[in-house]
Amino acid sequence: MPSRVFRKTIVLEFSGNNMSNYYNMPKLPTENSPKVEIFVDDKPVMVPGDTNLLEALKAVGIETPHVCYHPYLPVSGNCRQCLVEQEGPRGRMLVIACYTPVAPGMKIYTPASSARVKNARKATQEFMLVNHPLDCPICDKAGECTLQENYMEAGQCESRMRPEYGKNYHGNPAHQFIDAKGQLRGGKHVDLGPRVLLDEERCVQCDRCVRFMRSIAGSEQLQLAGRADHTYITTFPGEKLDHEYDLCVTDVCPVGAMTAKYFRFQKRVWLLSHTPTISMDDSLGANIWLDYADGHIYRVMPRCNPEVNRSWLSNTSRLAFQNFDKNRLPAVELDALKAALKDGGKVALVAGGSCTIEDLAALRMLKETLGDSAELFGGTFKKVGAPDGIAMSGDPLANRAGFKLLGIPDNNLDNLVDRLRSDLVKGAPEFKVLVTVNADIFGEAGDVAAALEKIPTRIALSAFDDATAKKATLAFGIRHWSEVQGTMVNSMNILQKLNACPVCPDEKLRPAYEVLSDLAGCKFESAFDAFKKAGEYASVLAGLSYDTIKSTGKLLEGGNA
Amino acid sequence: MARVIKQRPMNWVERLYIFEAIRGLWTTLKHAARGLFRYETLPTISYPEGQPEVLSGYRAKHRLMLRPDGTPRCVACGMCAAACPAHCIYIEATASDDPRIEKKVKRFDIDHLTCVFCGLCVEACPVDALRMDTKEIIFEHRTREEFVANLKTLTSWDPKDYPEDEQSQKAPGGTKNAQARAVWGMEVK
Repeated sequence: MPSRVFRKTIVLEFSGNNMSNYYNMPKLPTENSPKVEIFVDDKPVMVPGDTNLLEALKAVGIETPHVCYHPYLPVSGNCRQCLVEQEGPRGRMLVIACYTPVAPGMKIYTPASSARVKNARKATQEFMLVNHPLDCPICDKAGECTLQENYMEAGQCESRMRPEYGKNYHGNPAHQFIDAKGQLRGGKHVDLGPRVLLDEERCVQCDRCVRFMRSIAGSEQLQLAGRADHTYITTFPGEKLDHEYDLCVTDVCPVGAMTAKYFRFQKRVWLLSHTPTISMDDSLGANIWLDYADGHIYRVMPRCNPEVNRSWLSNTSRLAFQNFDKNRLPAVELDALKAALKDGGKVALVAGGSCTIEDLAALRMLKETLGDSAELFGGTFKKVGAPDGIAMSGDPLANRAGFKLLGIPDNNLDNLVDRLRSDLVKGAPEFKVLVTVNADIFGEAGDVAAALEKIPTRIALSAFDDATAKKATLAFGIRHWSEVQGTMVNSMNILQKLNACPVCPDEKLRPAYEVLSDLAGCKFESAFDAFKKAGEYASVLAGLSYDTIKSTGKLLEGGNA
Repeated sequence: MARVIKQRPMNWVERLYIFEAIRGLWTTLKHAARGLFRYETLPTISYPEGQPEVLSGYRAKHRLMLRPDGTPRCVACGMCAAACPAHCIYIEATASDDPRIEKKVKRFDIDHLTCVFCGLCVEACPVDALRMDTKEIIFEHRTREEFVANLKTLTSWDPKDYPEDEQSQKAPGGTKNAQARAVWGMEVK
């Protein structure tokens, strides 16, 4: 079972003692963390005791500015931005909060009471900005940049820059040039690989990307080269940054140094709205943000879920959005669908991987309405791969656990093909009608597609004009999973919520559950009606509502997935 | 506190009314005669033959400043669009062809039907690319689409119309263009 081995690497890394381990992975507080009393600004507070100071302060609402620290990367402690004062045997000393373990009774002083901490953070900030270019107007990170946030919180210094000297950037000498104002500048768009561009000037050498590639991606393709203020990020000579997770370095980059080519200059980030949803191309169900503006999705960002994909997202899931609005099927009148279904004969209902729980409940209801003249099939012809331990389980049937939960077969497409082939020998096929829901079986099947074509009436309910829709006698356009509300159960048996992103190209397109329930004669007016119906089929879903499922999902007890 | 003002009762000449009517008519006739014979002394402008004088600080139609090589200075940062209270600016960006410049503007639309001419976009511009000093205050078009100024119309201004402005003279056709282009260090492609 893929979910069992998924967290193997993390379990190994967390096997250390109180603070850290061999990989310096930060230990994050959980609901079960022991509470200890520490003194923050001479006030006693209860904080999680098994974590670092930065996370502990965050847990009680004190944000500490930081650049190099990332909760899912090994602690490096090189930015020195998270300084706090700690009372020790030699008096009050400045320590970095990200690498100081919480100890009961420790005395901590934040800028709220200590001018020294305030000045130290301000000085760190000023140093970091000395040779940082004033690129904010053209920087893609502006608006979500850690340096900007830190500047507002800890910086705000008068510039002590002498205009006659200007910025003095060093770094990779091969990429330096003289700009139109006669100033020496660093590599502004260094091509790191097929998907990522590097701006050496903006880089603050936090080495988050290096740590990501080393510890998470497991392929050390980035390195810091040079020393002191000549340090720059680079790949190995003659090699490129090319990895399934390489776009994550643009997420972890606190500044605009690493930019994704697909999103470069596309939209200012403050113009984007965000829809939290689930990526339905893999059974891990990576939590994502769909960032959209004026009716288009501009990018997909990972949404932090500590249990599922943490802060990571594969390139496959991230770049899939580029095809969401292409090659779409138009909306068709439902009467045509009803007429096609009434042709008579036995109906094969095939559910595909991106069906939500709601779609499956509607499909099962349709099956029960049709009675013995219909049979449910489900699954995929695609190869089921192995989990990669980051953000993919390798199973293309995203809602497989949901199939099992609702009693819909998740792996019997071969059975359908075998029966069709044996019918071929006998003459007349057993099934007269084939209804596919979000299942591109013709596209996936390859050589067995010929057998499927023996079914005379083929109805495809699909968002895209894919191979199945092209072979179908009736192609019925429905909404894509990014445009529907719903739920799915991932491979770790966590029930997760999908939300509708308002980017549907045609308002007449309807979600699959609405179409299927309409066919069954009991139309669901909303996704929640369908979810309530699913609760009748699976008792673990009964009594839940969309509001009671947290944004990080709900672990289902007693599921059989 | 309310106060009663006693009005002087009209005397008999005033009550006759005819003399007051002639006095009012005289004012009218005086102005009519002035309009006929001494037209230039009237304070009104006979628009559209006469045009009002536009002062230099007046917020008129926008223009986009040009670099010495003729490309717009705009780096498509979107600050003007962010500052615009009427949401009348639409910008699309793309990567620049010049290796020394990151980003350039691909589309720059200002809807002058929506614009409130507040000038916040000009103040927001970090590279002094957007100005409202054209002194063009008359917008007359046949269709609504023509009121939307685009990149072409915003950049098609003549440096000769801005003789005192040094920055405008650096644009192609200006007196300081050759000098600025030497500093720029690159010939126009």
